[in-house]
Parts: sequence; C-alpha cells; structure tokens
Amino acid sequence: MSKAPALRLYALVYLLVLYAPIIVLPIFAFNDNTVVSFPLRGFTTQWFGEMWADPNLRIALKNSLIIALSTATLATVLGVFAARSSVRYAWPGKAPVMGMIMLPLVLPEMIVAMALLVVLLSIGVPLSIFTIILGHVLICMPFAVAILTSAFQSLDRSLEEAATDLGETAWGTFRLIVLPLVMPGILASFLITFTISIDEFIISNFLGSGRPVLSVYIFGQFRFPAKVPSMLALGTVLVAFSVCLLATAEYFRRRGIAKAGGKDTGGFL
Amino acid sequence: MTFSADRPNMIEFKDVHKYYGDYHALRGINGTIKAGEFFSLLGPSGCGKTTLLRTIAGFEDISSGAVLIDGKTMAGVPANVRPTNMVFQSYAIFPHMSVQENVGFGLRRDPRSAAEKARAVEEALEMVGLKGYGKRAAHALSGGQRQRVALARALILKPKVLLLDEPLSALDKKMREQMQVELIKLQREVGITFVLVTHDQEEALVMSDRIAVMFEGEIAQLADPETLYRRPNSKKVADFIGTMNFIPCTILSEAGDKVEVDAKGLGKVALDIHQAPPPRGETPVVGLRPETLTLLYPGQTATERETAGVIDEVIYFGDMTYYDVYLGGTDTEVRLSMRNVPGRPVLDVGDKVRVAWSPEALVLFR
Repeated sequence: MSKAPALRLYALVYLLVLYAPIIVLPIFAFNDNTVVSFPLRGFTTQWFGEMWADPNLRIALKNSLIIALSTATLATVLGVFAARSSVRYAWPGKAPVMGMIMLPLVLPEMIVAMALLVVLLSIGVPLSIFTIILGHVLICMPFAVAILTSAFQSLDRSLEEAATDLGETAWGTFRLIVLPLVMPGILASFLITFTISIDEFIISNFLGSGRPVLSVYIFGQFRFPAKVPSMLALGTVLVAFSVCLLATAEYFRRRGIAKAGGKDTGGFL
Repeated sequence: MTFSADRPNMIEFKDVHKYYGDYHALRGINGTIKAGEFFSLLGPSGCGKTTLLRTIAGFEDISSGAVLIDGKTMAGVPANVRPTNMVFQSYAIFPHMSVQENVGFGLRRDPRSAAEKARAVEEALEMVGLKGYGKRAAHALSGGQRQRVALARALILKPKVLLLDEPLSALDKKMREQMQVELIKLQREVGITFVLVTHDQEEALVMSDRIAVMFEGEIAQLADPETLYRRPNSKKVADFIGTMNFIPCTILSEAGDKVEVDAKGLGKVALDIHQAPPPRGETPVVGLRPETLTLLYPGQTATERETAGVIDEVIYFGDMTYYDVYLGGTDTEVRLSMRNVPGRPVLDVGDKVRVAWSPEALVLFR
C-alpha cells in the first residue's frame, strides 16, 4: 500500500475537503469577530452566551428534541415489526409492501413534503409538531428497516427454536433471546433516525407551518450577518453532540458484539 | 445392540406426509421408536430425515397422518410443551448468556428454589464433563464444549425423547469419535430415548440400536445395524451403508426357500430365500461385502467356495489393503479387503490369486 503515493495523496486531499469545513466551524465559533474571515482576532465564548440567551433557540431546541425522540422511537418500533416480519415470515404481497416502505429513500423529499402538505390540509389536519413527526417517520423508516433487517437476518433461527424447545412461549422467546441479540441494531436504528430527524429541514419547514424547530431556526438566523457567529457556536455544539452520540452508539455496538461472540464487521466509527 | 423388541413404543409415525407447497418432503412415514432406544435417521441430504425429526420436536406441522409420543397424539401440541428436547446442529447456544444460564434456561418455569435449580445445573454440567464451567461466557467455549452445553441444557429437563440433529458434524474426526462413545454411554446412563439424525452411515452403525434409512422422503429400511449391513433390502441401501460389490447374475430357478443363480465370475450359487429381499423388478445382481472375500495364500484352501482371479489394483491403507480383482477370467471386478498381518505380504498388480468366499454372504437384488 505504501507504494502508491498518488493514491495516498488523493485520500488525504479527499478527507481534507470533506472535513475541513467542519473544523472551520469551531474555529470561528470561538473567534472574537462578527465577520467570518481570517486572520483570527482572539478567543471568546461570547457567541455561545449569545446563542443560549435567545429564547427562540430554546423553544426550537425543545421542539426538535420532542420531534427527534418521537420519530426515532416510532420509526424504530415500527421498523422492528417490519424487519421481523419480512425476515421471519412469508406473507402475500411482501415484496411490494417492503418496497413501498423503502421508497421514501429515493423519492425527492421536496415532493414528499409537498404531497403530505396538500393531503393533510385537504383532510383538515392542522399542522403541528405532530405532523412533522409523521413526515419524519415516513422518511426515517427506510433507514430503520434497513438496519434492523440486517440485525434480524444475522440472528440464527435455531436460537429461537432452542428457546421454544426449552419451554418458552413465543413472547418469552422474543423477550429473552431475540430482543437482547438485536439490541445493538435497535440502538443503531434509534440513533440514526434521531440524527436524521434533528437536522431535517424540508419537511420541518413545510409541515411545521413556521413552528420553530432547530433546522428552520438556523436557516432563519443565518440571513442576519450579526447572528452568524452564534449560529457557528450552535453548529459546534451540535457537532460535538453528534460525535458523543456516535461514540456512545459504537461503544454499545462493540460491547454487544463482544458479548455475543460475533465478529466485528465494521460500524459507524 | 442391547435393544429388545418388547419395550413400549415411545414414538409412532402413522402415514406421515409433509408438503412444502408442491414439494412432497415426507411420503408416508410409518414406524415406531421404542422407549429407551438409541434410534438413528440416516440418509443423504434432502432425504427428509431432519424434517421428520422436526415433526417430532413440533417445529414442523405435518400435512397428514399422525405423530404420537408416548401414546399421545401431537396434533396441535406446540413445541414448547412437547416432552422432547433437541440438540441443534449449530448447538444454538445463547451467546449473550453464561454457561450456567444456558443450561438453566429450561428451568425458568420450574417451581423449585434458586438453590435447587443451581444444583441441578451443576449436576447437568458434571454429567457432560463440564464441572466448574458454569460461570464461563458461552462464546468463549470450543466446539466440543458447546456441544456438551447443548446436551446438558436439553437433558436437564429430563425429556422423554432427546432429539439430536447432526450433533457431531461440526467436530473434527478425533473429537467426533470420542463424542460418539460418550453419547452412547450417556444414553445408557440416563435411559432416555435418543433420536439421532445423521448422514454418516458409520456414525449411525456405531451408535444406534436401530436405524431408519431414508431416501426421498421415505423409509427404505428400518432395522438394527447388523441386519442393515448384512441384509440390506435394496441395492440403494446396500450402496449407502458401507461398500458392496454388485455382480450381474441370472436367476436359474426359484423353488420353495431356495433360489439358484448364476453370477458372472462366481458361477452357480444356491441362495436361501432370506438372502433375497422382495423383488423390485430390477436387473438381478448379487451383492458381496469386501471383507467377506478373502485372498488365499499358498498352502491355504477355501472352506466353502473358491474362484480364481487377477489383481487389477492395490490400495494400501496401513492396517488394511484393498484389492480390486477380476474374477474367474471375466470382466467382473470386485473389491476385497485384507488385514495386513505379519507373514502375509502385500500382493502386486497382475498377480494371479485365488479368492475364497461364502454363498451365505451373498445378497440377491432383483
């Protein structure tokens, strides 16, 4: 591998281009200047204070957390049902139904958001946090189902049969054998759908009817030059939060695999 | 081979059929497995032996017919309440539990106290030679140890029937032979009916009181190992169990309990009717096991029949030598096996030899 310097350089540049903008975020978040430009002027935590002082941010954050937690929970629970039944049972129309669940993955989100808006308004459902959650569950389901399907597929079916054979009921077998063994997949699904939901913009904007959620709030604030540094501060906090989240997920995933004695076939980190 | 026919029936199959869609997996299985018997279902892959085992466990519904365990029909009885336990091919050790949690899993609904259950687990582990392994993580075990945990886990519930689905196929040869003996001993000790599924005819012969040989969803022959080996009821069974030479022949006469045939290379032979299983409308052949043919060395004479031959191939195995020999100046070639003992040199290709054999060892398939 060390004999391909060109490829090495390419990989290096690739990673730099990919991640440099994200590194710029915290640099300017701590820079003592309202304008985002070099040279740096001095260290300050002023922007973090300013950011937190804005009551709108706190409302948006609260709304976003409610939406993301609800979406992650719903999508993962529904994903468990869908993945389990698609892996384990045969039923008529399985292929088209599973295809339909995965469809939002390739549909333009704009179209999905518009269609949902038109339908919801025409049947008289008032736009609220709840409608945003509905939209988010729709677009998060493919991810949840993909992750959970692979988790259920890697489960040896004879483990369930063994538990049944040893006298457990169907529910007992699911609770004592299936659930603990697919837990890493459930955790991964939860975290990924949470992440997708919290930074989702289009559906939040369309179906929220101007209700403040984090992504819409950031987009709105970015129009005012004076607000840019505090938005960078917010971005820094979000990046730090994401890294912590993924690290936690990875820790649990690896521990799960070690406990189950499986081979580590890669994860998020 | 201590099996006695007067023991009560443990499992009965009554015209069991199983369809997977259009595929007819079990085609009218009839037969009984006796209480306390070590019974094997033997056959090539896809013959339905595992499916049949799973109908006993309750993992497969049958399409028609009946499966009875200890006189009770199992129709509508789910797997978790049947008096059977299973050792799975993959062992199915719960990877997120310790050895003692695995072994004690079946005792969850047992009303006994925790201390009594712990003692039962310890006893079960001791029985399979894993004393003191209780605290180990299940995934830290070797293949042989996993197998023992699976055995202890199944036997702790004292089932009426223990089902074993190719339990030794994942082990290496040495370990497999060792486990075969251990399983026989264990079965004698606990006295539980064992039903073993295997595709390894040697394993079935070594371990079983009786064997059902299965082909294409049907039981071809159900008998004790010796009968199966010495008196197979069809060419197919004879071919599957061990090695057998098939020699083309013509039937000269059939009267009473005697059948006279003319076998190519062997000449005219009178056979007892017991040596001729029911006719199947096939081209007649006589079968001979390699060890029933003997090479005669200078000075030796045959006690019964003797045929001249020429050695075509010599396969040396250390303790044994296999010879392929053309019989009686014909193109009939048979394989025979000779034990290599001092004073008995290994012969060479092209050597002219005399072959001794006994009419009693012949089986006629027609």
